[in-house]
Amino acid sequence: MTIAQTSRADVAAVLARWLLGAVFLYMGLSKALNPVDFLKLLRQYDLTQSSLLLNSMAATLPWFEVFCGLLLLAGVAVRGTALALMAMLVPFTGLVLHRALLLQSALAIPFCAVKFDCGCGAGTEFICRKLLENFLLMLLSGWLLFGHGRRFSLRFSLIKPAASPPAVN
Amino acid sequence: MKDDPTQFGASSRPAAAGRIFGEAALVAVFGAAFAFAANQISPRGLALARDYFPAGTAASARPVAGGGLPVGAGANAGALSPAQSLAAQMKAMGLQLLDDNQAARLFRDPRFRRDVIVFIDARDEDHYLLGHIPGACEFNPYRPEKYFDTVLPLCQKAEQIVVYCNGGDCDDSESAAVMLRDVGIPNQKLFVYGGGITGWMTNGLPVETGARNSGNFLKPNP
Repeated sequence: MTIAQTSRADVAAVLARWLLGAVFLYMGLSKALNPVDFLKLLRQYDLTQSSLLLNSMAATLPWFEVFCGLLLLAGVAVRGTALALMAMLVPFTGLVLHRALLLQSALAIPFCAVKFDCGCGAGTEFICRKLLENFLLMLLSGWLLFGHGRRFSLRFSLIKPAASPPAVN
Repeated sequence: MKDDPTQFGASSRPAAAGRIFGEAALVAVFGAAFAFAANQISPRGLALARDYFPAGTAASARPVAGGGLPVGAGANAGALSPAQSLAAQMKAMGLQLLDDNQAARLFRDPRFRRDVIVFIDARDEDHYLLGHIPGACEFNPYRPEKYFDTVLPLCQKAEQIVVYCNGGDCDDSESAAVMLRDVGIPNQKLFVYGGGITGWMTNGLPVETGARNSGNFLKPNP
């Protein structure tokens, strides 16, 4: 890979990091400012019968997204944040897919015609578009997970590798 | 290219993966602390110990599909109509269901002007201000402490209380009715208007904007 190509890839990775950070910041804030609406949407997944657990999820998930968004924008603990986001995106995409399949079966309509507010922060959306969006977010997270997007980062890695002992001649 | 030990794919892959998992754990711990603190500080934050859905935590229990859809409605969809299912569920909860005509009749009843019949709007403040049944009291069941002082004395005095929300798959009216019952309003006084504000407007009935008894009305659709 030439220096110019490396440079272009670095710039693209930084833009991807900022984009991912901005998306999570926006999605998180839109839910955090209306937590009751998010609570109602989260309830549709029937995740738990415990109101304490449901309230805790609805109260913390949006702010956690805001936190991750800020870390990505600032470039702090980028790979750890990307992994945390993957750990949220994968199960929630599964839940959204499961609910979409239930709705499709109830309505007897084509899968991509299913439209509902999944509680992701962007309002009512067609399911295929939502899944595509989540897939792209996972791709971007995966890219950052592999160590890209270091430029303009405050502290890319929180945990530095142990220094190797000096070579003895 | 120089080997970077912090990169995935470098010679010490397990160590690098361990560092990433460690970092993710740190992000999770600090993120959770930040999230709980932010929720505590936020004026809109949720009270973690409160039961926001006294009528039942599971959303799938709600049978009606007005604006949205019930989960798992496919197999038994033909057994009961949505209205019948809703009436059955209200009965099971000890609440009585009103249809559009019954709600309109109570609205026109002279006892409504004397607060013997009370309408309760169980939606949030923004929706209430945009338009509500004229004379209805605002009572958001997710922020009950804000409204108890004004709503409870009215409900205690009233003989019939009609609670409504958006209609369709909205169940905030049930939550509000159950909450009122839990603070001592007798069950037989409580009625849930299933059509909600959507059904009310569809029937061309008057809608008041702003505060209660503001005298400002929405112009009816031609």
